[in-house]
Amino acid sequence: MSDETKPSAGDSSGLSNGLVSDSDRRVYQAAQSLHSSSVKDLLSLGVCERCVFRLVSVEPFDSDLSSVSASTLRSWLEEASAAAAASSESSCSRVCIVCLGVLQFVFSDAKQTLARSECGSDYAARVTELVKREGHEFDSFGLEVSVPSTVVENERAVLLYLKGKYETEGWVQSEKISVKDALKVLVLDPLKASLGAKSDSSSFHIRLTYSMTSDEVQDASETTHERKKRKTDEENGSTSMSENSFEKVYEPCILSVNCNKMPIFFSGRYFKYSRNVSQTRWIIDDERMGEASVEELIGGNILPACLGDSYKFHAAGREDIDVRMLGSGRPFLIEVQNSRKCPSQQSLMEIEEKINNSEKKLVGVKDLKFIGSQCWAMMREGEAEKQKQYAALVWIARPLEEKDINSISSLIELKILQKTPVRVLHRRSPLERERTIHWMKVEKIKGSSHYFLLHLCTQAGTYIKEFVHGDLGRTSPSMGSILGCRAEIIQLDVTDVKMGDS
Amino acid sequence: MEIQTAEVANNPETEDTIESTKQNQPEEEVEHCYEQKQALEEEEEEDELRSMLLSDIGELPLSPPSATQVNFVSYFITDFTKPGHDQYIYRHANGLCVIGLAPTHVAFKDEGGITNIDFNVGKSDRSVLKVSGKRKKNAMRSESNTALCKVSTAKDSYIVRCCVKGSLLEVNERLINQPQLLNSSADREGYIAIIMPRPADWTKNKESLITLEEYKEKKELSL
Repeated sequence: MSDETKPSAGDSSGLSNGLVSDSDRRVYQAAQSLHSSSVKDLLSLGVCERCVFRLVSVEPFDSDLSSVSASTLRSWLEEASAAAAASSESSCSRVCIVCLGVLQFVFSDAKQTLARSECGSDYAARVTELVKREGHEFDSFGLEVSVPSTVVENERAVLLYLKGKYETEGWVQSEKISVKDALKVLVLDPLKASLGAKSDSSSFHIRLTYSMTSDEVQDASETTHERKKRKTDEENGSTSMSENSFEKVYEPCILSVNCNKMPIFFSGRYFKYSRNVSQTRWIIDDERMGEASVEELIGGNILPACLGDSYKFHAAGREDIDVRMLGSGRPFLIEVQNSRKCPSQQSLMEIEEKINNSEKKLVGVKDLKFIGSQCWAMMREGEAEKQKQYAALVWIARPLEEKDINSISSLIELKILQKTPVRVLHRRSPLERERTIHWMKVEKIKGSSHYFLLHLCTQAGTYIKEFVHGDLGRTSPSMGSILGCRAEIIQLDVTDVKMGDS
Repeated sequence: MEIQTAEVANNPETEDTIESTKQNQPEEEVEHCYEQKQALEEEEEEDELRSMLLSDIGELPLSPPSATQVNFVSYFITDFTKPGHDQYIYRHANGLCVIGLAPTHVAFKDEGGITNIDFNVGKSDRSVLKVSGKRKKNAMRSESNTALCKVSTAKDSYIVRCCVKGSLLEVNERLINQPQLLNSSADREGYIAIIMPRPADWTKNKESLITLEEYKEKKELSL
């Protein structure tokens, strides 16, 4: 069988290496076709076998290289280039001066233990183990690789060396695959097999980060000036200089495997039943304002169900800490970063119940649902708050009369001018804004002629408290100026938030 | 992919689909039934909201504290540069200071009260400066004795001062056309200016001011 596959080779060393599979045969043939003296040069400089293929071959970089061990590759290359079979053991275990072991499947792990894999599937098994530890649920993944800048610099240097020495050769001119992309070619199929997942540009990413060991980082952190200087030297094409720089013996890189899931989103509407709960976590000088926040009460319950790293809370508008959110509730989104799993609708309902039945009943939730990872922009566009409805408890300096009730409710689409309220003037622009009060309705309170409940519907962005008390006359007209007496707001509730699409 | 299937199942669009099938429902009875049910639900929600609104109303005092009293701490400066030149400084929790005439200001004692206000004092007209942006560009820097405006009565005129070192954010332009607001509600619509002091300046500045209690005590004694 092997006789058939090697019509050109008369020697027997190929036979002794046992070309058992088709891929072995293809790689063997590729090795024979490489430019022999450059292969010999590169091997003696300390370039690894897979980098030799990468740099010398004119054929596309072949994933078959993944399944053939480094020592076998070396013997084939040595045979093809008629290089002296140097003590094969030691030269194979030497870290490549270009890829620093990346394509040799050699790396240090987090505990500085050296890991060496014979072939791509061994390497994939190690990576799989690290990925599994993160506990993600996924059935497809995107693979990302990052290598230290030294690798890129080494690559430049070795290419300059080759171009200088073999200027006239056609293969020198062809585009070379980078170490990063070569690793992807080598390990993608084995990884798919061992993870049992598809590969695509999915919302789940596995990132293989190679970095230098600490002492080499120091080496690499030369000043920009030095780097520039060396760069110019390289560009001048002094090959002898490059050869010198290849003599350094490198340590393998440290590999860290990180998994990242794109944010997932949940939507719903929240209620705020307390006048001492802020919408978002509010800390001033290490002191918490209010006893809790809507953000934390909801996010803190969703995050554990997703096994995520963190969450962000987004709401359509906001209310003051002392204002309750009742009625329709206010739309919100929870964004969960790096979630390991996606809770079912059933468990979302349980979360909803848990929040709604909590002992203190500070906050409530309804319509909690999963909305995928792409809905964010859509939600933003379609759902700007448009109108808001409030119930304000108002006191006026004189008793309320029947005719007041009529005159207030007859004011439809009332335009008011509001200067930036004093209470926020320290951090907002001093401006005068026109706002519309769509309608108002007075509800009398039994046993009190100075107090009444004012129901009102306003354009989003209207300052209600200021509309009632007038803010030193800076909002005009105000409830006080309409009734011709001092008006004060005792408390306020939001009863409806109407969105752009409803 | 599990997440994607979940996405389909919970896609917001499915709601729309339900909505449209609802609308296309041919049997009027079903629709009627649905409407009734919805009306009932709405009524229930309304009732619930109503009880939540009303149940939260606690003891109602005869006269509640005003927004000014709740949101500001009152300070005073008396006989500032001249006898009877008494002013208030209402400081908001955010640091901003509202400046105005204290009820014991000498101008109120003149017959007919204040009849005119003029912001054109010192080097510039205080009412012409237009402050802009979050950073309050163009704000005039005031010292505590910087002249803010001049108020006139039938008999005399009096210089009102800034009282606070800081940035002059705005003056009450309404007073130009309605100076009588100074007589009727000097502590609200008749405020004169808003100044933003730097925290460090305020700490020093505060020492030259007296509190509401001290003011009451002092004025009752002298009255």
